[in-house]
Amino acid sequence: MAYQLYRNTTLGNSLQESLDELIQGSLNTYRFCDNVWTFVLNDVEFREVTELIKVDKVKIVACDGKNTGSNTTE
Amino acid sequence: MDQNNSLPPYAQGLASPQGAMTPGIPIFSPMMPYGTGLTPQPIQNTNSLSILEEQQRQQQQQQQQQQQQQQQQQQQQQQQQQAVAAAAVQQSTSQQTTQGTSGQAPQLFHSQTLTTAPLPGTTPLYPSPMTPMTPITPATPASESSGIVPQLQNIVSTVNLGCKLDLKTIALRARNAEYNPKRFAAVIMRIREPRTTALIFSSGKMVCTGAKSEEQSRLAARKYARVVQKLGFPAKFLDFKIQNMVGSCDVKFPIRLEGLVLTHQQFSSYEPELFPGLIYRMIKPRIVLLIFVSGKVVLTGAKVRAEIYEAFENIYPILKGFRKTT
Repeated sequence: MAYQLYRNTTLGNSLQESLDELIQGSLNTYRFCDNVWTFVLNDVEFREVTELIKVDKVKIVACDGKNTGSNTTE
Repeated sequence: MDQNNSLPPYAQGLASPQGAMTPGIPIFSPMMPYGTGLTPQPIQNTNSLSILEEQQRQQQQQQQQQQQQQQQQQQQQQQQQQAVAAAAVQQSTSQQTTQGTSGQAPQLFHSQTLTTAPLPGTTPLYPSPMTPMTPITPATPASESSGIVPQLQNIVSTVNLGCKLDLKTIALRARNAEYNPKRFAAVIMRIREPRTTALIFSSGKMVCTGAKSEEQSRLAARKYARVVQKLGFPAKFLDFKIQNMVGSCDVKFPIRLEGLVLTHQQFSSYEPELFPGLIYRMIKPRIVLLIFVSGKVVLTGAKVRAEIYEAFENIYPILKGFRKTT
């Protein structure tokens, strides 16, 4: 079909969304290896009902969750 | 328009729907047997005379493009008038050679004189039906340029870093990298400036996409190579090549895609139930255009910027001819 020409490019472009986040928002870096995502965010607000926590730098490590999914911030 | 071909050659010109005929040299011999495969196929005759005229104009333009690529525009204008009659019949010959079976309903025969567009100073006496009449691109008459410049949207390029790479090391140590070997056997890395994405393979080859200009694509590829180099690999920068360029623009008027696919069926495919755009595969330059009702045009398949510009200048007069008037 004629559109396969364009499907090839989706592999390469494969979502500029990450970069959009980089530009607009606070995503500093991201990494995905061995099914583990690692994000570093800057200037983050953690908002709970009562509390508001502002942080300069957040590292999020995330694995696939079936039953367990570890999520550590420092 | 006459349906039989029995008019003497000198009178056939007068039967032209175009009206005034300059003395085209009649080549078509009334003695030529029909149905031998050498006969020009009857062209599709719709009810609309204007479509026929458009076909003729476009075919004569094709004729000129084939034979006189280096000619001056003034000479082209003269050729246009002389070759008007050749248009429809040449089209049918070319249709025959390029399309194979057209599978169309029995069509009315066109009573135009068969004249090949004569080069200045030459008078071909006999038709050459075996001449490959590959339709290339509709040539434009001597009109002003469209004034619209397609903007480049995406450039895909490749480069060879010249050494084997350990993708896991790269994914673990580089920033903004993804590596999921189960899904895809390459590291997907992105940089912000120029905003691009790279696919880095273990062979050392790399694909860089997303840049808006040739220089940006090269610069981005160099940045990725430097990242890999800083991770400790002996990266080089071999055989950088731009593989594809995508441009887009807006003609600023709505377009009758149905009409366009009818007259340019050799080049076009339009299936609105599948995709709302008409896919026009231009032969020279070899560019694919996506043409939408809104008047937006996407051009892709170019290796150099000039091909995008040339393709758009070729398609613009055709699109003007299919402007929606309601």
